[in-house]
Amino acid sequence: MSTLTLGAYKRRFSDTAWYPYALVAPALLVLVLVSLVPFCYAAWLSFHSVEYGQVGEWNGWDNYLKLIQNDRFWNSLSVAGIFMLIAVPLEFLLGLGGALVLNQRVWGRSAWLPLLFIPSMMAPIVVGLLWKIMLAGSWGLLSHNVIERFGMLPGTSIFASSDHALIALALVDVWQWTPFMMLAFFAGRQALPMSPYRAAAVDGANAFQTFFRLTLPLLTPLLVVIGMLRFIDAFKIFDSIFILTSGGPGVSTESPSILAYKMTFEQWRIGESAALAVLVWLAFFVLCNVFFQVAKKRLNAF
Amino acid sequence: MKLTRSALACALLFASIGTAPAAFAQAWSYKDAAKPYAGTSIRVLDEITPLQETMKTLVPQFTAETGIKVEYELLNHFEVINKGQADMLSRRGYYDGVMLHGVQFGQMLAANAVEPIDTYMKDKALMNPGLDLKDLIQPSFDTLSKFKGQTFGFLNWNYNFVYWARADLLNDAGEKTAFKAKYGYELAPAKTFQQFLDIGEFFTRKAGTNLAGVPLKTDFYGILHEGISGGATLNSVWENIMKNYGADLFDAAGAPSFNTPQTVAALTYWAKMWKYSPPGQAEYSLVDVPTVMGNGIAAQSLAFSDFVLGIDKPGASPYAGKFTYAAVPSNPDFKGLRSAGGEPSAVVINKASKNKAATYLFLQWMIEKDTQKKLIEAGKGGVPIRTSSFAMPEFGGSQAAFYTAMKDTMAAMKAKPKVPKIFELYDALGPIVQQVGLGKITPADAAKLGQDKMLAICKKCTL
Repeated sequence: MSTLTLGAYKRRFSDTAWYPYALVAPALLVLVLVSLVPFCYAAWLSFHSVEYGQVGEWNGWDNYLKLIQNDRFWNSLSVAGIFMLIAVPLEFLLGLGGALVLNQRVWGRSAWLPLLFIPSMMAPIVVGLLWKIMLAGSWGLLSHNVIERFGMLPGTSIFASSDHALIALALVDVWQWTPFMMLAFFAGRQALPMSPYRAAAVDGANAFQTFFRLTLPLLTPLLVVIGMLRFIDAFKIFDSIFILTSGGPGVSTESPSILAYKMTFEQWRIGESAALAVLVWLAFFVLCNVFFQVAKKRLNAF
Repeated sequence: MKLTRSALACALLFASIGTAPAAFAQAWSYKDAAKPYAGTSIRVLDEITPLQETMKTLVPQFTAETGIKVEYELLNHFEVINKGQADMLSRRGYYDGVMLHGVQFGQMLAANAVEPIDTYMKDKALMNPGLDLKDLIQPSFDTLSKFKGQTFGFLNWNYNFVYWARADLLNDAGEKTAFKAKYGYELAPAKTFQQFLDIGEFFTRKAGTNLAGVPLKTDFYGILHEGISGGATLNSVWENIMKNYGADLFDAAGAPSFNTPQTVAALTYWAKMWKYSPPGQAEYSLVDVPTVMGNGIAAQSLAFSDFVLGIDKPGASPYAGKFTYAAVPSNPDFKGLRSAGGEPSAVVINKASKNKAATYLFLQWMIEKDTQKKLIEAGKGGVPIRTSSFAMPEFGGSQAAFYTAMKDTMAAMKAKPKVPKIFELYDALGPIVQQVGLGKITPADAAKLGQDKMLAICKKCTL
């Protein structure tokens, strides 16, 4: 009798509206503590004057006004935008192409597949140092032996040129993250069911038809999620820029993260950098939501 | 007899007067001074360079003598700035002592985060009467640590620029003859700005041409200088070039004074230097300059002397032992005070420290003559903070030219003025100065733009 009562109670709780919330509560609590609390504090700081780390008076929108009147802020957004537009599509296309090649029975695949992990496993700071050794003006391996020897960039070096530095940084990002994209897409492709492909083969579909009518639609949820994560990650680029150019020449590679770093840790303009963080967060919140809705409704990705 | 007795008494009196300070100095000891603090633990944050790494090996001697435990933490330049400043500004007092470069003083003083040490210096129990502060190198010490009648630390590190050139090239007979034929004077380490440019022009050569009688495999450059938009580029342009043209970032009242004919002249000179520089100069930091110089692709440079020490030693570079040094070149047309760049720095007492007296004792011990002697002996050289250190054998012999250059630089080297928003100003001016070097903006436009940027940050910038 008592067992029955306990069983009935358990069923009743799992049927209540609270049950799903109880399940996600621990994760939600961690998320709130580690993510939302600091963000809310940053938002609160952004409405205060913060002198030398000491929180002062409420100053309304002053920090935001200062920020939007600062040409360096707009420049940093433009730098991040260009960086994303160069790096992410290239990583995406090369990653997808590589994944499709990997999906064929390539010779020695299982032996050299783990090598693809290497760039993504490297700490960003190591990646920056590695490419400094390769491309540093006058003494970098590639700069000295190829670029300067063949006069490819007369009178300047890659990271000293405001026309080339950002492109080079984006290509460093491509070098680091394309293998990750390739592996992620390859794993996704491997997980796809075989029966639609068999049916397509029976129907006489060629490789292009199979790709555009089967592979691409089936992979869309994965492509959307990975693409979105890479866009967000690329926008936040910091380490390699910090190591390779420090935001220069001039301010031609100064991303929002680099600007925020300078404002916070060098200049102690914490109110303004908090405002920058809030604005960037809001922009991403809106963009990601739009992206999510489009992916959901147009691409059936979620 | 009476006379003899009087004379003896007088002699004894004079002798006792004469030896009194010495006797007191002998009586004072770190062991006695530290008795109230024995067992105390202090944390001191300093920058990691070979100098501090050597100092770290000596710190246990202080602990053995005083019983004060010292956690002497060494971090890289940026981390010291971030972590040290953050701790001082937060008032947590995790660190009792923090190394501040002169450039940081304005910000930290404005935030009232630095403890003055005058009270401790007046305390006979703490102050070693034999410390001999007059021996600390000037004007570094006074301009760094003394401000508005108070003292905010001693002089711990005396980073300085030196002129650095390839002696094997400057002494090559063929090059000397060719240089004299072209410029009308002897080829030797540059003493003036014009000579610096002439030598730069003379040695800038394409691959395939001869250098000291040997065909060049790659291009060779006459001048190497830090050119990154952050770092110490602006520091060098300001102190090594602008000030020697009579230009300055601030006027006597502390207001921005970047848009002046003197600044335009100095920036014009700066732009000329870039004509003889390697293509990657705009990405060179103060760490890259010695690396590139050590690779042997440039004839002369202005560089921080402590970084030079890492290159001009056996095994570090194929050109080790083939370098020569001199003071930073000057501008003979400028009749004012000569200036040379550097960054005098001090470990200061954190205002929030709970162990200020014990920390003071450690700071004092760091600059003691005996500690400095041991530091120089252990490091087989270094960067002196005491004038008397230059007499040590480590600063003679084959390194004599290097240390003479250093001494000469230090004579003209001051700490930065106390400017709370200096990093904002650096951040605004750095890219502009770099663009002048790259030829993207004219010196006149740069001066105007720089002035506008400075005024947007502060109308009166100094404390």
